[in-house]
Amino acid sequence: MSRYANPDVLVETEWVADHLADPKVRVVESDEDVLLYDAGHIPGAVKVDWHADLNDPRIRDYVDAFGFAQLLSRLGIGTDTTVVFYGDKSNWWACYAYWVFRLFGHTRLKVMNGGRRKWTDEKRPLNREVPHYEPARYSVRTRHPEIRAFRDDVLLHIGSPSPRQPEIRLPRKHALVDVRSPGEFSGELLHMPDYPQEGSLRGGHIPGAVSIPWSKAVNDDGTFRSADEIKALYEGQGINPEQDIITYCRIGERSSLTWFVLQELMGYPNVRNYDGSWTEWGNVVGLPIENPSVERATRAAAQAAQRPQTGTM
Amino acid sequence: MAEACHRERLGVAPQATRQEIIDFLLDQAASPSHHGKLEPCDVTMVAGNPGCGDVITVYLRVDAARDAVARASFVGEGCTISQAAASVLMERVQGSPLGEIEAMDANEMMEALGREVVASRPRCATLALSALKGAVKAHRSQQLRRGAAG
Repeated sequence: MSRYANPDVLVETEWVADHLADPKVRVVESDEDVLLYDAGHIPGAVKVDWHADLNDPRIRDYVDAFGFAQLLSRLGIGTDTTVVFYGDKSNWWACYAYWVFRLFGHTRLKVMNGGRRKWTDEKRPLNREVPHYEPARYSVRTRHPEIRAFRDDVLLHIGSPSPRQPEIRLPRKHALVDVRSPGEFSGELLHMPDYPQEGSLRGGHIPGAVSIPWSKAVNDDGTFRSADEIKALYEGQGINPEQDIITYCRIGERSSLTWFVLQELMGYPNVRNYDGSWTEWGNVVGLPIENPSVERATRAAAQAAQRPQTGTM
Repeated sequence: MAEACHRERLGVAPQATRQEIIDFLLDQAASPSHHGKLEPCDVTMVAGNPGCGDVITVYLRVDAARDAVARASFVGEGCTISQAAASVLMERVQGSPLGEIEAMDANEMMEALGREVVASRPRCATLALSALKGAVKAHRSQQLRRGAAG
């Protein structure tokens, strides 16, 4: 039975419970549902709102180094503090916050296995008291831009093809993992009417991407699958540690969970998260797209046109 | 007048504290009003992001004689704010003229829900309203098509 390459990045609920009073540990809740923390959180935990705290209010990007340092100082997190993330949705947003913290170079990071759900399933205590910690001294030192992919990085990664090129194959040892649902990958699902802000004008996926939904790496209870199961999942689809891998989803949070699984847990050395993801790629003029649902519809229409017409005189 | 005042009062109390607003939203999400499929209905409208995020399905039955909502309901999944917003909206619009729904805007929803708390998630707060407006629009299109068909 294999072990994770970096087992220390994952802690169990019992470890968190034992370290609630540890001044060198800061438990951070990060959720999709912004009110969950207020409804009750792990005693002593602080909240990081991925939207309000980590994102620039004007441009689609993260806060700058000064803003990040201010945030951590306010939360009482020093450069040597061990930050433990947990949250809802099988730790999607916990992993996203972890990834952003890593981007800014914070070294001591962990995720609580099973997230909020496991803590509550085990009937561990929650409270509503918002802790106030002494502001800490924090400065951003060595950043890690190598874990982030931008749109042009992805275009280069797939070989800079022309958008109308009939067949696009990834260069050798390059891999692209689309972690969305099969319906999003195939182009059948788009954003819903009248809610375009997080949707895309086009459906489908980035050419060369392999569909491995994020949920296949977690158990039903929200905990991560074993190292053997994860290895079989990804290597079974041709994804291995020798590759230069980019993960993406719709807005970068599900793919940050997959980034965490591959790079942090399994030790794959070269994994980047494309946080622009499909809401960027599916809206940009002139980028190549594969859309199986459109291709199927086009073939069906062509076949229908070839059938003999019947009628009455 | 009394009915209009009653409708305006639906939502969080104007002087509510932040914690009271949060408790109100949690209660609404936990025990939503007019929740469930409506059969038969004139229009079904889905809004949101399947696979990632909030989804609301609104069911609308129209009182054609009054051009008003005969009954509306919803089902959905997602964050507390989006589900609470749907509950508050459904409570507000039963019997409302369709024109009133067409005139509703995001600001009304934000005030009804407690702007101080939902301001950071305007899309979640207005998702149900988008779905309901979409349903009314679809109903109008159906009416035009029936009118054109004679």
